[in-house]
Amino acid sequence: MIVRFISLLRQHYGLVQKGFCVLLGLLVLGDLFVPRHHIHFLGDEIPGFWSLFGFLACAIIIIGSKWLGHAWLFRPEDYYDRQGKK
Amino acid sequence: MNPFFFHPAILFFAALPVVPWLKGVWRSAFVIAVPLVAFTIVIGLEPGMHGVIDVHGLQLVFGRVDKLALVFANVFTLMAVIGAIYGLHVKEPWQQVASMGYVGSALGCVFAGDFLTLFLFWEGLMVFSTALVFLRRTEQSTKAGYRYFLVHVSGGLLLLGGIFLHFHQTGSIAFTAFDPDHAGLAQYLILAGFLLNAAVPPLHAWLPDAYGSATVVGSVFMCAYTTKTAVYALIRCFPGFEILIVLGVVMALYGVVYAVLENDARRLLSYHIISQVGYMVTGVGIGTALSLNGACAHAYAHILYKALLFMGVGGVLQVTGRSRFSELGGLWKYMPYTLFFTLIGGLSISAFPLFSGFVSKSMVISGAWEDHLQWAALGLTLASAGTFLHTGLKVPYFIWFWRDKPSFEPPKKDAPLNMLIAMGIAAYYCVLIGVNPGGLYRLLPFDATYHPYSSYHVMESMQILLFTMLGFFLLIKKLYPEPKVGLDLDWFYRRGAGYFLAFCFHVLKMLDEQVIKNLHRNLALPLLRGFARVANWNDQRVVDGVVDNSAAAVLRLGDHMRVFMQPGILSRYIARTLTVLAGIALLALYLR
Repeated sequence: MIVRFISLLRQHYGLVQKGFCVLLGLLVLGDLFVPRHHIHFLGDEIPGFWSLFGFLACAIIIIGSKWLGHAWLFRPEDYYDRQGKK
Repeated sequence: MNPFFFHPAILFFAALPVVPWLKGVWRSAFVIAVPLVAFTIVIGLEPGMHGVIDVHGLQLVFGRVDKLALVFANVFTLMAVIGAIYGLHVKEPWQQVASMGYVGSALGCVFAGDFLTLFLFWEGLMVFSTALVFLRRTEQSTKAGYRYFLVHVSGGLLLLGGIFLHFHQTGSIAFTAFDPDHAGLAQYLILAGFLLNAAVPPLHAWLPDAYGSATVVGSVFMCAYTTKTAVYALIRCFPGFEILIVLGVVMALYGVVYAVLENDARRLLSYHIISQVGYMVTGVGIGTALSLNGACAHAYAHILYKALLFMGVGGVLQVTGRSRFSELGGLWKYMPYTLFFTLIGGLSISAFPLFSGFVSKSMVISGAWEDHLQWAALGLTLASAGTFLHTGLKVPYFIWFWRDKPSFEPPKKDAPLNMLIAMGIAAYYCVLIGVNPGGLYRLLPFDATYHPYSSYHVMESMQILLFTMLGFFLLIKKLYPEPKVGLDLDWFYRRGAGYFLAFCFHVLKMLDEQVIKNLHRNLALPLLRGFARVANWNDQRVVDGVVDNSAAAVLRLGDHMRVFMQPGILSRYIARTLTVLAGIALLALYLR
């Protein structure tokens, strides 16, 4: 059942993509009409702020971490094993 | 109040020696029945103080039951049932033995009312969990087990030192809250011991190291108990310690960054434990009723969904023998049920509405907003985007999709049935808590009401999550797994210790052989010899001279005296005697 469902989604990949984009659009649109009870800071008042936040957060995390990894932190997978066999 | 109290940990410890003797279906029934009975006992417990023992004036409390202890005991025993079912396929009994001791120790910590009892079970946690790492029985896991053990021994010593100092200062070993304004060295040592077990950076590196190396069943158990027992202890002792807010936010983001770099699925999930525990630590640091409740609720939800994720990834490891993303991919056709349950875990940890993370994580973030800690709230929200990015998207995508077909012989079957059942139960609870948070909220110890399902909050979360998803698919090329490890602070004892040894072996040894030995030979020895010569001369000439000469002088004086006093002439004797007598007579006359 799960396999059939996933195959179906994969067959109509373009449709899924479009549906997802429409959903994103609807979310931003819907944000215009949602009542705001607890305003904690500036971002709460701007419609679509959290969309931008989510997207930027994702981009910053991926690009920032990968940069950190390539610049400094990455080592070969057997990094710790090699030393013992010296 | 119910006067009858049966400590649930007794059940687990009593069952320990029985398990290896049972075979087949009897053992299966037994290892499920024990936690199930314990779960029932915990549900029926009433608040009160039990098991108080007086030892040389120290009050040891084994059974302090209150709402805070009960919420943790509840999820600990529930998780023990799920974990036992998950481990049923294991033929040898030792993993089941170790995990029972582990759960029993965790329950012992939760019900402990004093620091010594806490410490006793705290060390129990360490011993049994180390066994779960060793039982993987690979060279790599044995090494990781030793590292895990040594790190936790140090943590335990910090805790013990703190407890002794605290007792010395206050005369009390009661396991209760400290005052943030009057905390000194003793309290901070205890805090350090707790923080090590909660895997707060810089004391965190043991976690991915051990959880990525433990047995499949072992890491499912370990992800639930050690860190959450530490969170419990933090809630108990350190609410309102502001340093915890900073540490919590830092660790929430730290875990996310390392999760990007990680190639091993179980190590990635481990870094997300660090990230998730960050929310709880922040909640403890804020210290309001809402945020403390949030920490408890998040611990409860976290145990279930994180175990579910470890079960899913563990199932893949069990079936394919692989846990690295760079080797996996394309499994959707072959392990669809595992995929389904892992997705539920992923959606729960990512705090999707209608899943458990949504109703617990947002309590902590709301606590931060209401305490006007904007940077903390924004940091935690940023981390939650990262959580979805990795656990909700990266894990399922790179294990089950990515490639059209696995790069190895595809597995013929999904994970074993018992594993799927255990995943199903955990998934059921994840959804149940998400759909009906009231049940969880009733268990919470502090007095604060919270309603997660406001339209704005749902809207906000959906925007963050779905736009994170958009970012994921746009930047997916950057995320392709790389067969590498990220340097972490375990470098200091894995590589750094080697360098230290090399330093001792080469530099210190060279210093010893070249410099110190030469100094000794060329400078110290001649100096010593010279000094000895001077001392020798002094002894022979000065000391002996003085002694010999004075002896000779005494002899000479004796000779003179003899010649003078004994001349042998009678008239001189008489004259001297008369002179002396006259002198005495004169003296007598004068004195009268």
